[in-house]
This record gives sequence, structure tokens and C-alpha cells, in this order.
Amino acid sequence: MPGGPAEQAAEARTLWGDALRRLRKNKLAVAGLIWIIIVILVAITADLWAPRWLGDPVEIDSSTAAQQRLLTPSSEHPFGTDKLGRDVASRVVYGARVSLIVGVLAVAIMIAIGLVMGALAAYYGGIWDAIIMRLADVFFAFPYILFAIVLIALLGRGFHNVFIAIGVLGWPSIARVFRSSILSVKANEYVDAARSMGASTRRILVRHIMPNAMAPIIVYATMSVGGAILTEAALSFLGMGVQPPEPSWGLMLSEAPTLIFSAPWLMVFPGIAILTTVLGFVLLGDGLRDALDVKLKE
Amino acid sequence: MPPLLEVDDLHMHFFTRDGVVKAVDGVSFTLESGRTLGVVGESGSGKSVTAMSIMRLVPEPPGKVVSGDIRFKGESILAMSEKDQRRLRGNRIAMIFQDPMTSLNPVYRIGKQIAEPLVLHKNMSRDKAWAAAVELLKQVGIPQAEQRARDYPHEFSGGMRQRAMIAMALACGPDVLIADEPTTALDVTIQAQILELMQEIQKKTESAIIMITHDLGVVADMADHILVMYAGKAVEYGPADEVFYNPLHPYTWGLLESLPRHDVDDKGALCPINGQPPSLINLPSGCAFHPRCAYARPECQTGSPVLTEIENGHYSACLFSADADFVQQFENRVSRDGDTGSGS
Repeated sequence: MPGGPAEQAAEARTLWGDALRRLRKNKLAVAGLIWIIIVILVAITADLWAPRWLGDPVEIDSSTAAQQRLLTPSSEHPFGTDKLGRDVASRVVYGARVSLIVGVLAVAIMIAIGLVMGALAAYYGGIWDAIIMRLADVFFAFPYILFAIVLIALLGRGFHNVFIAIGVLGWPSIARVFRSSILSVKANEYVDAARSMGASTRRILVRHIMPNAMAPIIVYATMSVGGAILTEAALSFLGMGVQPPEPSWGLMLSEAPTLIFSAPWLMVFPGIAILTTVLGFVLLGDGLRDALDVKLKE
Repeated sequence: MPPLLEVDDLHMHFFTRDGVVKAVDGVSFTLESGRTLGVVGESGSGKSVTAMSIMRLVPEPPGKVVSGDIRFKGESILAMSEKDQRRLRGNRIAMIFQDPMTSLNPVYRIGKQIAEPLVLHKNMSRDKAWAAAVELLKQVGIPQAEQRARDYPHEFSGGMRQRAMIAMALACGPDVLIADEPTTALDVTIQAQILELMQEIQKKTESAIIMITHDLGVVADMADHILVMYAGKAVEYGPADEVFYNPLHPYTWGLLESLPRHDVDDKGALCPINGQPPSLINLPSGCAFHPRCAYARPECQTGSPVLTEIENGHYSACLFSADADFVQQFENRVSRDGDTGSGS
């Protein structure tokens, strides 16, 4: 029989195929991945259904606002409404957009800066290493949220500056992880072997060192998306992030505390959204850590 | 015609915070095609650094060639541009590393790694290089080479990985093959197979081999010449038979006595060389070996021996090697018709 089990096994044996197979065995990571995919789908398709079924997340209908405000969750408003009469479920759905975009873009900026800095520090060493790592230490020395607030105060409030600030402040961790990862990979004999085969410095760095040093970065970046979402929420909560009336989970939380006893749904649903999404990224990152380890015995 | 490979009074020093480490301090040898040179010595004697200097794999800094030269077919490797060196490395001179567990890149298939030097040096297409890699795997005795080429290194056993490393080193048909303790990480039966394989390949390709080892038994049957190193210096050099059966330097005696042998009716324990190799920053005065030498005399503390020709083509760096009575003191010599324990 063609395509028997043995043949299929041989088929699946690529590096990424292997990693995916190992990832599938980790139920928590799969749960995290599925949740992230759901959140992404919800965020992408929000325009198609959320306004119609749930109500507009931003606009306030002044004619009905008075009766619609602070309604408890019902079949019409599954997550209730806020004090301006807007549907909380709709705002949570649109908040996913903000959170994901901020999370992904912030991490993209982090990685872009962090990888270059880490690679320079590790490969060239000496004075480069010293300058870059001391610069990273300076970044670490300031309290993260305070530094972000100062940066946003300088850049001006707004959606763009939130992920720029988070990304710019996050690079030192990526640079550190990548640097140590490259240093440990560089010590391997196969790097010498590649040199002894006549490979150029660039080829060694790109083809032999990077692929082996990437695994911790992928793991760290995945978890950082969760961290960036959390930071966005914190900044918005403090009024330095996404500005009203844009829906953001952190912003929604910031409107809730005074009403925590009379309208707890205002805090519960955005809170759950933040918690589960961040948890999803962390679980996925954790699963990737094991899945990307080629040497792990099965 | 200039010799294939010539190492001429090489001094490779490392400039560290603690001082200058004279890892290689005046080593010379020449190598012709089809010949094998065994480089023997303890850990830290400078044998690996010598090999890495030829490949230019020593990180500079802290390493630096203070003086001396390495010439390939008469052309100085040290004076070459990085680009020209790269053209040589993996192509004309290739190296097999000590630990097959770490010398293959874990993220690439075996076949792809063996194909890499072919892609780099012979401008082969990926498909052609892959086919050549499978052919090479067959040559080094990997069964079902077509399938195994698709494996990742962690799916190979230690012996198979070393075979794959050899295939990779052989890919471009190098003139010089440097093997840095190629069998140290392998068990004894696999060791013998790997050594046999290297000899077979040498017969076919006429390439020259530099075999670095701490085990005189390993080079006993393979090498044409043996270079014994101690503390970065060559202490004895000569035709393999001469060095093996008629060793002149007390350090070589020590190495021979520490080999397990079954030609001597000695039920006692092996006789190791006492003490540790010296610090290469603060070498002992006089002969660097004198603090550990069982035959040392007072003169050894002051007089620095130089490598001199004692017999025809047989060099030794001991103050007393020319003294027949002194050399006679070594009692456990291997008899020429006897068995050596590791060779046959």
C-alpha cells in the first residue's frame, strides 16, 4: 500500500514538521494556540458581525443611551452595557484588535532592534559587546512602566506611540537572550567545522549560528506578545495608552473600578479577555520551547 | 617542487590577561601527498593548536602567529587573503573534528551538510551536490545512504556521525586531511573501523593525512612519520618505525610505557607519566619536561635542549639523546617483531 505509515513518517520528518508534531502533543500549548487563533479570527471578522449583533463599540446613541446604560448581561447584550450605553461585548471584541496589533507590532519592533543589537554584541564582542550590553543595562535600570509613560509623554499620546514605546523599551531583553544564545551556539564545534569547510563569516552567522540561536527568540517573542498586551492594558488603564473612545481592554478596565459593585461585568469581561489572551501566548511560548528543541528525545 | 604542506618553525602564542601562552613554540614538519604524519602528545601539548593554525581556525586575537610560516604547495597560508584561505579550506585542506556529537549542525540534514562544501567550492547545483553527498555516504560505509542522507545528525550514532564528518571532509577531494583525535570520542571497535576507513580512503585518493592523537597506538600502524609534542614544542620527530621502536626522548618513552601492551610479560599496572603538563605561561627552566622526567640530570634544569638530528632523519630534543648509554636506560622498548597492543 503506498503511503503506509512508514512512508508518512518519512514524509513528516522536516525540522518544522517535527516541531509541529511535538507541539501537538502538548495539550496546554495546543489550547493556547487555539485560543489565540480564535481571538485573531474574532478580531479580523469583527466588522462583519459585531456592530449588527451587539451594537456599535464606539458611537453613543444619545436617544437611547439613558435607558441602555449599565444594563446587566442579557441575551441582547451578553456582556452588559457600560455607563454610556455601549455594548461591552462589542467593545471587548474590538478591543482584541487593539491588543493584538499593539502586541504584535511592539514585539516586531523589539525583535528588529534586539536581534541586530544581540548579534552585533555576540559576534563582534569586545567593545561592541560592552557598549551594547551597558546600554541595555541602562534600559533595565528604569522601572519599565514609568519609562514607558515618560516616553509616551514625550512622543504624545495615541495608539502608535503605545506600541512604539513598548517595542523600543523591550529590545534589551531580546538582545540579551539572543546574545547569550549566539554565544553558546558559537562555541559549538560545528561552527568551527563550517569554517573549516570554507564558509564565509556571513554564511556562518546566517546559516549556521542563527537557525540554532533562534529557538529561544521565538519562545521569548511569543511570550512577549502577551507581555506587550498586558503593558498596553496597564498604560491604557493609567490613561497613557489608547485614548477613549477607542475600545481597549485596559481602557475599559480603567472605567470600571468605581462601579465594581454595581456593575461588575464592566471589569470581569475585559479582565477575562486580557487574562486568557496573555495566558494563551505564554502557554504557546512554553510549548514552543520544548517543540523547537531538536535534540529532545521522544 | 615545493612540498605539499610545510610548517616552518611555527610560533602560535595566545596573549591573555594572565600572560603569554606559548601554545605552539617552534614546530616544523613537511608533508608529502599520500603520506601520514602522526602528531602525538598530551592534552595541552599544542597539537590541536598546530592543526587549527593550518586551518586558520585559531581566533585572533587572542591568538597570534609570532613567527614562522605555513606553506601549502610553496605558498604561505598566513600571507593569503581571507578569500584565498576560504578557497583552500574544505577544498584543498579539510579537517575532521574530535567530537562527532557536536561537529555536525543539528538543524540540517546530513546530506545537506555533506553537500555544503561542494556547493561552496565546486559551484554544484543543490541536486547534483545532494547526489554527490549520497555517493560519499556510500563510500564511507553508511548503509541505505539515500534514506540516511535525509536524516538529522541526532538520528545518527556516534560512529556514523564520524563517518559523515569524514564524508564531508572528503567531499572536495582534499590534498590534506587533518584529523584531530578522530577516534577519541568513539568506542574501541568503532575506532578501528574509522582508522581503517581513513587508510582505505588515503590509498584511493593519495591525500596526505595529519593524524592528531594522544594515543601512540592509534598512529603506530598508520603514520609514516611521528611528531611528538610536549609543552608546545616538538620533542621527537622521525620515521614512525624509528620513533616507535627506537625512541630517543624520555617523554616518548613515557608515552610508550603508558600504553597497554601484551608483548611485555608485565602483570603490573600501566606506568603513567607522573605529574601534569606544565603551565604554558611559566614553563620550567631548562628542558620543559625535566620536572616530570624519570631520567632527569642536574644539567636538565638549566640547559635548553633543541631539536637535533641524532640519527638519519630522526630528531630529538633531549640533551642526552646522542648518548647511547643514556638511551639504553629505556628498558620497555617495543621489539620490532613483537606485537604492540593496539596495532597488528
